[in-house]
Amino acid sequence: MMTSSGTSNAALNLHLISDFNLETLGQYVRNDTSAPVVSVSSAPFGQVFPTLLEPSPSGPSSFALVWTIPEKLVPTFAAALNYVAISEERLIAEVREFADCLRKAQKHFRAIFVVSWTLPSYYRGTGILNLKGQGPRKLLLKMNLALAEELENCGNIYVLDGQRWIDAVGKNSHSPKLYYLTKTPFHAEVFVRAVRELKAAITAVLGASKKLVILDLDNTLWGGVVGDLGWEKVRLGGHDYVGEAYVDFQKALKGLRNRGILLAIASKNQESIALEALAKHPEMVLRPTDFTTWRINWKDKAANIADLVAELRLGLQSAVFIDDNPVERARVREALPEVYVPEWPADPTLFPSSLLQLDCFDSAYATAEDALRQEMYATEKQREFSRKAVGSAEEWLLSLDTELTVEELSDANRVRVVQLLNKTNQMNLTTRRLSEQELQTWLQSDKRKLWAFRVRDKFGDSGLTGILSLEVTSEVAYVSDFVLSCRVMGRNIERAMVACASRYCASLGLRELRAHYLPTVKNKPCLEFWMSSGFSHKEENWFVWLLDQPYVFPPGIKVNSLPGVDADAVAAQDGSPHGNQVSPVPASTR
Amino acid sequence: MDSMEFVDPSKEAPTGGSRYFDDALRVIYEAIADINLQLPQEQRIEKSPTTVLFGKDGKLDSLGLANFIVIVEQKIEEVLGLLIGLTEDDPFSPSTGHFRTVQSLASYISQSVARERGGAHPQS
Repeated sequence: MMTSSGTSNAALNLHLISDFNLETLGQYVRNDTSAPVVSVSSAPFGQVFPTLLEPSPSGPSSFALVWTIPEKLVPTFAAALNYVAISEERLIAEVREFADCLRKAQKHFRAIFVVSWTLPSYYRGTGILNLKGQGPRKLLLKMNLALAEELENCGNIYVLDGQRWIDAVGKNSHSPKLYYLTKTPFHAEVFVRAVRELKAAITAVLGASKKLVILDLDNTLWGGVVGDLGWEKVRLGGHDYVGEAYVDFQKALKGLRNRGILLAIASKNQESIALEALAKHPEMVLRPTDFTTWRINWKDKAANIADLVAELRLGLQSAVFIDDNPVERARVREALPEVYVPEWPADPTLFPSSLLQLDCFDSAYATAEDALRQEMYATEKQREFSRKAVGSAEEWLLSLDTELTVEELSDANRVRVVQLLNKTNQMNLTTRRLSEQELQTWLQSDKRKLWAFRVRDKFGDSGLTGILSLEVTSEVAYVSDFVLSCRVMGRNIERAMVACASRYCASLGLRELRAHYLPTVKNKPCLEFWMSSGFSHKEENWFVWLLDQPYVFPPGIKVNSLPGVDADAVAAQDGSPHGNQVSPVPASTR
Repeated sequence: MDSMEFVDPSKEAPTGGSRYFDDALRVIYEAIADINLQLPQEQRIEKSPTTVLFGKDGKLDSLGLANFIVIVEQKIEEVLGLLIGLTEDDPFSPSTGHFRTVQSLASYISQSVARERGGAHPQS
């Protein structure tokens, strides 16, 4: 099991809120030096409701863990455990009261993790009646479901499945002795597993989860060497336990693809033979179209992987490499330490379970953009082909027929905006990371403005891929966020976004638009854009545009709407010789 | 509780001859490896018979000792196949003292194992 790295949030804190002694978990978190490193604070022992209603001040990097004992927190459940007939309405009402308190606390934390309720592993309950009538386990299932549903739409509250940690430790998961000695009901091993899950959860919220799986082929996706055997004779499916395991491994990979994780191939093979196997084998689950890209040749795998990741405009820290060959794994680990290379079993029957237990793909969001990521990269490939076919870069950009739709923050786009804000590293001016709640709070001032940009062109829809936010003073507007997905970088969207901001600022009668670049190890592409943006650059990392001059929209990009700016005023200021179009804003979006 | 005066380890009954002492020491060292994961680097426990566990100059506070007890009991069950309670005599009491050092604990465990097995050899 691993916890993905790649985050640089040095001052993360986890606030422990519990009705039992959670100090042992705190000690494990403090001593865990794997990324992201997290400090720990604790609420007063047993003060769950008062702490949630009035949390102590916490910063934007503060997370909360709320872990409670069901019979302590929910009085009606305690009665049910003593086989007293209870009102289930009352039981669920008590769960809702708890959910209410969590909702009230959510604005104080970047994210709240609530551990689902469990019963001790030794608790037998009513045996065959556990899941009938008011059987204790049936009631507990209802309580957990009610809690999850109550918190379903709370963007920064996540219910973690504590039962998994209990099950993994087994009969020793609970220690009555430890409970009576220290009021800690769980064995330390449960906390070890909880810490792993918490690290994965925090990594997911920070947007640092893995986005790409790069796969070997021979003896990884199928059994045997296709170049020697021919595609008809590789072990895949059939009445063969090893073949079935390979099919299940491919199905698990397909599941990752459906979640928006990109698949790619790095294999030492003859490309035509390998692709023929993928296309023709009747039991092949993954076909060539399931892979975003591949490097199938006899070159060094590390070099191939670096090249492949660069093609997809991802960072190496976004990639996972799976290969049955320990020599290749060692080579890639040594050459590309940012790529996560999990240890891999020699036995193919363990491949599916080894993949399914990886926590590095955990994501805090599931958006339409995630599900369509593979298709978006496929259209990007078509763009690349067209780029090669067209003479100059300028002509190619004009040929794309790019349309930009500008939106304000809304219920419909909030999750995606926050995801993009928290995941984007390269084209990111300030690398500001905010939760949904924090972003909404920030936008409460009428001096602040945020736009989300959707991009589409003749090849397809790239989705919501840009964010620009401003803070306006009496004469000057400052760019607070300038974020663009690497998926659409280099297509002049950057300039169009800046042009939108300048039009808005000019319409307010402001004097200057300023952007302050905050360097990170990953956002140099953003600096390069601003250096070439035409803004004056007299002070290090400061970029200034005097608004008495219109910032020209790049040619060939049609802006469908610009909320907050009168369309006529925008059109009148447009100095573009290419006649940029700004359509009137639909009434519903104003 | 950390500053309590405990029985002087040097005055403990000689234990090196117990046939179960080495098994007990192995169990304790495995438990130390586990408990060290909970402790900051500077408080980690050395695997040595003379290491002071609890009390004056000990590395464990009362929560750490409780966790350590549970881990050691579990390891005894796994390694020696015996359920031995280490809290029959109050582990936090200065007069008990078997959690004072690794050696005193190994001695206590080996004597308990010998009692449970009626003096039988571990392999018998």
